[in-house]
Amino acid sequence: MLEVKNLRAGFDGSEIIKDITLSVKAGEVHAIMGPNGSGKSTLAKVLVGDPSYEVMGGEVTFNGENLLEMEPEQRALKGIFMGFQYPVEIPGVNNAEFLRMAYNARQVNEGKEEIDPLDFDDILTEKMEMLSMEKKYRERNLNEGFSGGEKKKNEILQMAILQPKLAVLDETDSGLDIDALRVVADGVNKLRNENNALILITHYQRLLEYIKPDHVHVLSHGVVVKSGEKDLALELEARGYDWLAPTN
Amino acid sequence: MTTTLVDATDQAELALLNLHKKFMSESRPADALLPLNEAALRRFELLKFPHRKHEMYTFANTKELVSTVFSLPPETPVARDFIKNHIFPECESSFLVIADGVLRDDLSDYSAIKSAINLVPIEEAVAQSEIREHLADTIEKENDVFASINTAFLGQGTMIDVPRKQQVETPLQILHVSTGSANGKVTSHPRVLVRLGEMAELKLIVKYVGVQGNYFVNSVMDVLVGEQAGITYAQVQEDAGDSWHCSKTRILQGQNSRVSAANAFFGNKMTRHHFEAHLKDVGAELRLHSVSVLNNQDQVHNFVRIHHEAPHGTSAQVFKNIVNDKSRSSIDGTVIVNQGAQQTNSDQLINNLMLSDDAHADNKPNLMIFADDVKCTHGATVGQLDEDQLFYLKTRGLVEKVAKQLLTKSFAESLIQTIEFPGVVEYLENNLLKKLEA
Repeated sequence: MLEVKNLRAGFDGSEIIKDITLSVKAGEVHAIMGPNGSGKSTLAKVLVGDPSYEVMGGEVTFNGENLLEMEPEQRALKGIFMGFQYPVEIPGVNNAEFLRMAYNARQVNEGKEEIDPLDFDDILTEKMEMLSMEKKYRERNLNEGFSGGEKKKNEILQMAILQPKLAVLDETDSGLDIDALRVVADGVNKLRNENNALILITHYQRLLEYIKPDHVHVLSHGVVVKSGEKDLALELEARGYDWLAPTN
Repeated sequence: MTTTLVDATDQAELALLNLHKKFMSESRPADALLPLNEAALRRFELLKFPHRKHEMYTFANTKELVSTVFSLPPETPVARDFIKNHIFPECESSFLVIADGVLRDDLSDYSAIKSAINLVPIEEAVAQSEIREHLADTIEKENDVFASINTAFLGQGTMIDVPRKQQVETPLQILHVSTGSANGKVTSHPRVLVRLGEMAELKLIVKYVGVQGNYFVNSVMDVLVGEQAGITYAQVQEDAGDSWHCSKTRILQGQNSRVSAANAFFGNKMTRHHFEAHLKDVGAELRLHSVSVLNNQDQVHNFVRIHHEAPHGTSAQVFKNIVNDKSRSSIDGTVIVNQGAQQTNSDQLINNLMLSDDAHADNKPNLMIFADDVKCTHGATVGQLDEDQLFYLKTRGLVEKVAKQLLTKSFAESLIQTIEFPGVVEYLENNLLKKLEA
């Protein structure tokens, strides 16, 4: 589904990702771990096309198509979703209306009918219940005045509504207390199936207790220093990241 | 009729004096008003039309306006359906129609609040010394020539009097209709005075509309707010595109009184709104919110003076302006904290969203503080859409055009949402924000 080959990318001329190669197949869950500044978030942003980041080399394909040539909205419509580490607040944009707009953008792209507010309300209610989100969040402005935890839940709500083929969740566990983490993880697990894939970007192993990865990759200084199965996450938890750092 | 232009300012003043003569002989204001007409005309002669570098007209170019020769509007019928379309749902039986400055009993219906308020013609209101003295005082202190002109042409004003302790729950709407003209230019001078007695409460919606263009409406509203009284009002200025509008709102606040004001501007050839508030006694609170959505060659200029004249006063202002195409917006806003007005709290925030390189947004925020124990802030921003917000929306599959439109709307929407009247909020969402889709 997603093929990343020798990717190099950065910000303001400095290279943060030096060489990343990654292959994600449908049905898989990949965890990308690593210390702060290792390039985890940069990878997520490059995958969804953040214009502040610059691709300096390598290639990325999504179902055979060159992802790097697509606008962020095209990538979204092809089925890529990112759960932001710091979702922006947008005052004046009603959350429920925004969610319906995003849902309809995908419907139209797939040649389907747009959904009216009443029918959408049923979908929204179901997904919000799944995430134990209070009703008031539908009437609020997008992320405005949401707590850190509610913002993250709202990201997963969007994922539940958009049903992406590939979801990249950037530090979704940060800012969540243990109950909220469990609810969010349960929600994500319910959304998983053999046709979609998940990339979890996380500093800690905590999230991986609830969402079991098939593969774990450790990033350090912009390169994958170790890949393995889910046991690797436990080892990292016990030993930290230092033993993996390149000696250069 | 054809439009006549005069070039020199003194010619313009002469033309106005001629129009005034005509007004006095044709409209025949009541005897009780004549001293006010006369005094205001003298004030006009003293102030004169603004020259190009007049400090009160730094941004608003009045050259075309003052060089246009206007006539008085003939009595023109206004269709009931037209009125109906402009009455907000909360005011179906609580509205007054003022056409070209004349209160129209035949078109108004305020049955829902008839027992709660008194409507007093201005010539009767001046029999009360408080009103007479207020008007005389403001004529003398007036520094805005257009407000002086309004009083010089005062003949048909209306006072809305809310008695002491009266709480008027149902909002009252004043619909100002400018009938305009198919050929030639006409001018009218609507005048409304609102007085709230001690502990009285009023909710007021003021809307300005034009049947057709070719007019200059020069309006003044005085709001006298008694001790512990409160008024919540929204003013919607949706004039015909081919019109000018100078509006002045002058507010005098008593002890612990509350004013919550919201202005929404659709723009036209030129709108200038002069908002002058005096927090005259201890503990007065004032909120002023304002939103403009402008395109084509619309112009809206706000001139704001807030005078903190007593301790423990609070004023909070927020302006949001969207300028597109070749439109112009300006905010010239000064907060004056008098000596002795200690413990004043004052905030002013001006946000401009520029959608075109040819649009203009000028800001002149200013603080004049003569007391030492006060907390005053002001800030102004001029910018484009937020890149992070735009990116976020795109990652949800919204194409650039849709995402930009949504963000642009949200910029104004965040202010519109603060307006206390659901009918006005809905109207602005459906109409003011629609200007962004053009």
